[in-house]
Amino acid sequence: MQNKLTIFLLSALFISSSFCQIEKLKWQKADVSYEKQIHDKKRNYSFESDNAGEFLAKSLANAYWFFISDVDGENCPFRPSCSSFLLQSAKETNIFQASLMFFDRFTRDMNLAKGHDHYPIVSSGHFYDPPHNYTLNQGRINYLPPSFIVDDE
Amino acid sequence: MTSVSKILYIVLMVLIATANLSAQDVFAEQFNYAKRLYEEEKYFDAVTEFKRLLFFYEGDNYSFESNLLIGLSYKEAAKFSEAIQHFTLAELNSSTEYEVFESRIEIIKVNILRRTTQRAFALLDSLENDVRFRKNSEEINYWRGWAYIFSDDWKKAASYFSKLENCHQLSQICDSLDNDLYNPQLVKFLSIVPGAGQFYTGEYVSGLISIGWNVLWGYLTINAFMEDRVFDGLMVGTLLWWRFYSGNIQNAEKFAIEKNLKMTNLALRYLQNDYSGKKP
Amino acid sequence: MRTILTIIFLIPLPVFSQSLAFDFHSPENIKKFADYLFCEGDYLRAIEQYDFLNQNLDNDTTEFKVMLGYSELGLFQKSNEIFKGVNHKSIFYPDAYLLSLKNKLLIEPQMIKDTSISSLDSFQLKSFCRLTTISMLYDDEFNIPEEKFISPFDEDERNSVLAFYDYKVEPKYKSPALAGVLSAIIPGSGKMYVSEWGDGITALVVTSLFAFLAYDNFNADHNTRAWIFTGLGAFFYAGNIYGSVASAQIFNARIDFEFNDGLKFFLKQRNYFLPEYDFCK
Repeated sequence: MQNKLTIFLLSALFISSSFCQIEKLKWQKADVSYEKQIHDKKRNYSFESDNAGEFLAKSLANAYWFFISDVDGENCPFRPSCSSFLLQSAKETNIFQASLMFFDRFTRDMNLAKGHDHYPIVSSGHFYDPPHNYTLNQGRINYLPPSFIVDDE
Repeated sequence: MTSVSKILYIVLMVLIATANLSAQDVFAEQFNYAKRLYEEEKYFDAVTEFKRLLFFYEGDNYSFESNLLIGLSYKEAAKFSEAIQHFTLAELNSSTEYEVFESRIEIIKVNILRRTTQRAFALLDSLENDVRFRKNSEEINYWRGWAYIFSDDWKKAASYFSKLENCHQLSQICDSLDNDLYNPQLVKFLSIVPGAGQFYTGEYVSGLISIGWNVLWGYLTINAFMEDRVFDGLMVGTLLWWRFYSGNIQNAEKFAIEKNLKMTNLALRYLQNDYSGKKP
Repeated sequence: MRTILTIIFLIPLPVFSQSLAFDFHSPENIKKFADYLFCEGDYLRAIEQYDFLNQNLDNDTTEFKVMLGYSELGLFQKSNEIFKGVNHKSIFYPDAYLLSLKNKLLIEPQMIKDTSISSLDSFQLKSFCRLTTISMLYDDEFNIPEEKFISPFDEDERNSVLAFYDYKVEPKYKSPALAGVLSAIIPGSGKMYVSEWGDGITALVVTSLFAFLAYDNFNADHNTRAWIFTGLGAFFYAGNIYGSVASAQIFNARIDFEFNDGLKFFLKQRNYFLPEYDFCK
């Protein structure tokens, strides 16, 4: 009985030590919270924008979120979602280029086989597909392999 | 022997005894120093000093307590795997039943805290089935209650706390929260009538929008079929009406889950900051 | 009675005599403890202990171990700062020099332009040659004959090295312009050209569908609907051309990523051609 317990404890020790990480920095007390993490980010319904194109995109997105997106269920498999993708694209480029990026995204959304070994996955389970990869600026592309898990934004 | 030599002998023996005591003190001092660092919340340094003691001290006197305190230091830094590793070492070096129980409970508490509650339940079962710990059944039940809190099963948590005491404070908190939580299954069932689920969760605007869309697309679908425009009816029915109908159910369920999460976090915040009893 | 008492008092004496004089913080004991921590892989604490020694028990081994420890912790810059203080006459200088080159590559993948040093033995010289040669792959103006490039490597390494060489000389990039032109001619074909078959077929179907709906509605004199479908179709068509160019760029970024990732893995597997130091025997 005692031997069995020792073997059990040693194996537990081996398993727990395999999860230990090298201490790289002198650490301190951490704030451990009992609370559960909330993944769903609240939508920003403000109309804050830097130019007319962005204002137009923001207005469209706000209306879409309020009247349609919230009540038609979880349909977008991507993160950022298609409407956020349009907004972020307008912020990074201009309304014309953002529209092209949006229609390309929409086409990719309709691809039934999009889940097959293509996009990295966000920890919430969505496909990670950021607009900065599509601005046609090679230097802005941050390629991540499909095996990569992206932290929830 | 003369009285002078007697006195000399006694003095010599006393000196030797004092030397022995002070020799022991070197390690005891190191232990106390490390413990003081722990108490001052200098956890990294405390671990270093406990490790130093364990490295140089050849006996077993400090193994249990040092490993336990190293584990607690790592736990304070949210380094849970390291904490469990040292609590296990503490258990391996334990010399009494009490020490075994204490180190095992610490492992359970870490598993509760990092929400690996299945592991916590398995360890609690092992303690419960061990005859040596029959007398500790109250404490086992207490931690089982906490494990259920962290598994989101507030009803079962309440039942275990009430085993300890009829009106146990934790039992009342868990019971009260369990009554307040929305039942996502009920919300989904109510949403068979568009908007009803949202109304039940207090989201009236979303409920009204949902009703609006469902009435509109429902009318257009039925109208198309009545006018023999089957293709239009199918398209509007499947692409729009069904989308908003199923979306209405998802939307109501999402509200219920979100609100439950808020209430749960509120209760957990209270337990962490204001509850004065033992906590993981 | 006195004999018994004497024995009782004296027996523990040898046991505690060591402890009586024991100083946890003597330089020798700090070093012993630091060495133990180093062997346990607790480099951070080991370095902290070595630092306490200051000049008391400073020697070449300790200095090199601190450098190695920082490198193991991923603090490559810090490791190379230690290297700056390593004496040229130290027996660990050649090893420290090679380690500093590894650190350099890990700080920023780049071509190593450092020259060899006279104190390298034949094994270390070979490591140096392999490391500097492989680092050439990080140079934008890569221009070295194949034979010369693979010559420092062992037989078992040559296949992998050759694959990296080919990758560098002739990367299998796709042309973004061609992808755009192809999609302009046949919607979706640019995506197919960059191996995005699913997206390509979807684009072809969606654009064709809107084109058909527009054509059909114009024929049926449903002009409003026809123009809506035309507009949507045009956006999908243009979006697809745009997306094909973007996809080709992402394809090329993937090629670069796989090359760099593969090279990093290859070097890591071989510890950047450095020997494994074992101070814990």
